[in-house]
Amino acid sequence: MLVWFLPLFLVFILIGTPIFFAMLASPGILMWVTDTTRDWNLLYRNVYNGMDSFPLMAIPFFMLAGELMNRGGITMRLVAFSQALMGHLRGGLAQVNILSSILFAGLSGSAVADTSALGSMLIPAMEKEGYSRRFAAAITAASSVIGPIIPPSGIMIIYAFVMGESVAALFLGGIVPGILVGVGLMLAVRLLADKYELPAAHKVELNPEPLSFVEYWLSFLLVRLNLTALIYAFAPVTEETPGTTKLLYAGAALVGSHVAALLMRRAVSPEFRSVCKRAALPLQTPVLILGGILGGVFTPTEAAAVAVAYAFLISFFVLRSLTLKALPSVLMRAAITSSTVLLLVGAAIAFKVIVALSHLPENMAEFVLGLTSNPLLLLFLINLVLFIVGMFLDAGPAIIILGPILAPIFIDLGIHPIHFAIIMSVNLTVGLATPPMGLVLFVASAVSGEKVQSIARTILPFLLVEIIVIFMITYIPAISLAVPSFFGFVEW
Amino acid sequence: ADYNLRVQVGSNINDEDYDGIVVFKDFVEAASNGAISVEVFAGTQFCANGAECLQSVADGTIDVAMTTSSGGAGIFPYIQVFDLPYLMRDDRVAEEVLRGGDFVNLLRAKALEDSGGAIRLMTIGNTGGWRNFANTKRVVREPADIAGLKIRTVVADLPQELVKALGASPTPIPWPELFTSFQTGVVEGSKNGITDIMGMKFPEAGLQYITLDGHAYMGALWWMNNEKIQSLPADLQHVVNNGFYALQQATFASPKRKAIQAYQDFVEGGGNIYVPTVEQKTAFKDAAAPVYDWFRSNVRGGSEVIDALIAASADAEAKIDSMNGMAIK
Amino acid sequence: MHLVIKPLEFVLTYLLRAGRYIATAAIGLMVLIILLQVFMRYVLNSALPWPDEAARFLMLWMTGLMAPSAYRWGGFVAIDTFSDLLGRRSGLILNLFILLLSLAVLVVALQLGLKHIKSGWLFNSSSLKIPLQIIGEEPIRLKLAWMYMSVYVGFVGLVLVNIEMLLKNLHMLFSDVDYGDVPDQTVMSAE
Ligand code: NA
Ligand code: NA
Repeated sequence: MLVWFLPLFLVFILIGTPIFFAMLASPGILMWVTDTTRDWNLLYRNVYNGMDSFPLMAIPFFMLAGELMNRGGITMRLVAFSQALMGHLRGGLAQVNILSSILFAGLSGSAVADTSALGSMLIPAMEKEGYSRRFAAAITAASSVIGPIIPPSGIMIIYAFVMGESVAALFLGGIVPGILVGVGLMLAVRLLADKYELPAAHKVELNPEPLSFVEYWLSFLLVRLNLTALIYAFAPVTEETPGTTKLLYAGAALVGSHVAALLMRRAVSPEFRSVCKRAALPLQTPVLILGGILGGVFTPTEAAAVAVAYAFLISFFVLRSLTLKALPSVLMRAAITSSTVLLLVGAAIAFKVIVALSHLPENMAEFVLGLTSNPLLLLFLINLVLFIVGMFLDAGPAIIILGPILAPIFIDLGIHPIHFAIIMSVNLTVGLATPPMGLVLFVASAVSGEKVQSIARTILPFLLVEIIVIFMITYIPAISLAVPSFFGFVEW
Repeated sequence: ADYNLRVQVGSNINDEDYDGIVVFKDFVEAASNGAISVEVFAGTQFCANGAECLQSVADGTIDVAMTTSSGGAGIFPYIQVFDLPYLMRDDRVAEEVLRGGDFVNLLRAKALEDSGGAIRLMTIGNTGGWRNFANTKRVVREPADIAGLKIRTVVADLPQELVKALGASPTPIPWPELFTSFQTGVVEGSKNGITDIMGMKFPEAGLQYITLDGHAYMGALWWMNNEKIQSLPADLQHVVNNGFYALQQATFASPKRKAIQAYQDFVEGGGNIYVPTVEQKTAFKDAAAPVYDWFRSNVRGGSEVIDALIAASADAEAKIDSMNGMAIK
Repeated sequence: MHLVIKPLEFVLTYLLRAGRYIATAAIGLMVLIILLQVFMRYVLNSALPWPDEAARFLMLWMTGLMAPSAYRWGGFVAIDTFSDLLGRRSGLILNLFILLLSLAVLVVALQLGLKHIKSGWLFNSSSLKIPLQIIGEEPIRLKLAWMYMSVYVGFVGLVLVNIEMLLKNLHMLFSDVDYGDVPDQTVMSAE
């Protein structure tokens, strides 16, 4: 009987009831019909308890970091950097759009932030260069799903929270899949260049503004330190190596990095160099976040707060692009968007009560397992189901509702928990860019002024690329597991 | 069935709490001749932590729930008496104390009063054996070895005071973030039972050194909605009570059996177990002394409860010693 | 109709604005508290007991105080493809149904919330205290009810916003007036 909550819920959301209310009304009505209104208490308490959770704090923090980066001109620098690298290719700005999304993904944890930040900047620029507006909007939407796949990622924090997995392992697991999506899209742009009549290749003019004294030396230092760390990582150092030898290696690495920097300096034009330098400080964010988590300085939740602090410090003190006057409105916007997300999480946790009470997961698992017991085939089916769910539901709520139902089935079948987490997260994230209920599409439409339907049509080839990547991730576990196991976060 | 009892236990059906509730269900349904049906929910759909579970019991959303001593401390602070180190000698003493008597009656009376008559303490069993110090860094033989380590505790004063008294640094980390925090070194140790350690796969995150100091008995407090039990006829009330006795005995036995496998797995995974000598254990007890004073002066009802436990523990020791004497004579 | 709607709109505008100011401060404080904890633990090796709970306290109040504004500005995620297909009149009737359904949820929530808060007076927070020791008194532990109230306040705000929407919807249904944006409105994009 209770199981009728599901069709009721679907009807409610399809007629346009806010999902928050639909998630409470449908179980509430069923409890009323079955004369178990004492369980209403449970619904209420779970809305509260669902939100009262420390790991969820990462959501407002990443929203805030994203807002700060937009206001502080950090996004702009990333685009300029991408343009210096790829702007000269055929379909240059389309490639720049994708590369910017990959870079931005290392700074932000949300696809919507990516769409609105990069879209508002790149869509007009692409139009000016002769791209059609719907193509520009479509490539923006398609590439911004990389945002929550490459760490940090709001969706993966929710998954880890609901399923009790290690956030760090999930973050590391997302790196290769995210880059794969990006590379896939770049190839697609290249192949489709004629079909979409993309502008021919031409030389890009870089007009970087001069760097301030502080920023110049900071990026000078950072570039060398990062290179040093990279070289040092290859040094034959073990736990037993004496301190002096380690110092020697570090010194050599430092010298090596300076030489490398000098060589690179020779190879490129001053403008190119300047653009790269202007991107050095923003691109330090992912290094800081992942380095801090892996180095035991802070937890993933705390990392989000550190990202906020870093974005604030560089845009306020170094770039001087943010004023104190602008701060309240930045905070306000982050607070209001996160409040709606948190309410949804709370409602979804309440919704889980009726999912459990109705024994839907067991029945569904039984049904699915009855179809076939071949894990490979099951994975194919589950991807279909997830994709369809993703068309109608946001990634966060979908994970909260379906994660506890699906993950145990597949873990029992021998799929690695982190592998399944990545499959699920990537699949549902791509759903953000699919019609009819695709938040990223809506934002792309709002930013570009193009109709949702026409973006949805143009985006189809790119969605196809993303579906191919989903299946690669599904059937090649190494894509998700190699990096976390390299860092010792996964035994595989 | 004329009466239905809705019981919530934690999410893990391999847990000793679950063993206990299986025994309870079987006993109550059989002994009541089907008049009472027991519906068991394993998971977190009704409540996910101690405070929530007590709330659910208070408002009747569930009839029976279990909390640990720290889980119930938000409303009944004095039950943290179980987190006080080294007050009970061993399992046998603890089981003798918890079978009933002045100490348990005192806790029950205080809890009824503090919850406005809504929540009744039914029995106290065990969940997971004893708490021991475990860490990722080194073998801990005496208090000096633990000094300076960052030890994860729950967000509650008493465990933090204990860790501080030993010279280590208490670090509140949410349970879901603990695995990652061991891996990355945000914390270096914790105080948990072996079954939790193995259940959460903490050794994979580097937790390889356990010192069996047995500093706290992991009491499992079973609560029931008072109105619900009062609404049963007298004979069925006795059935339920006997059911809780059966549950208690099952949870006393189950962790001992489970710990064997858990310790084996721990050692096979390269783990190091250290058993402190009597002198070293005394040194731990001396170092922890400030915590007793802290408990008396900071916890409402603390003095009364700690005195009751010390008395009950002494009685139990005497009784056991005399029984041992008779057995050998 | 205007006589009822205008005062309500006026009052709501100021109430919600005040709520947003507090919520804005709350999110900023959250960041600072977490950073303080990282510093205390990593640099000074002496973690504080309260930041975890204090930050959650602020997050809940931020949510409760912001939610009504989000609802009023159309920030609650919904699928409006279907209602876009309908004409003005049938669209308004459908919307009326949705508003009533939501109101029913909210009214039940208000009753349950009172019970929730009442139970919160039984519980002490595990780490939050009012630091009365600075004036030489014993510190008082904060009751969880103070945290529980955050969501309740949010629900009260949502009810008021819902009633405002309901009245406007009815007015539009029985006349030709059209209500545009509410005061203070900014563009909302939800994740
Ligand atoms: Na990201
Ligand atoms: Na979608």
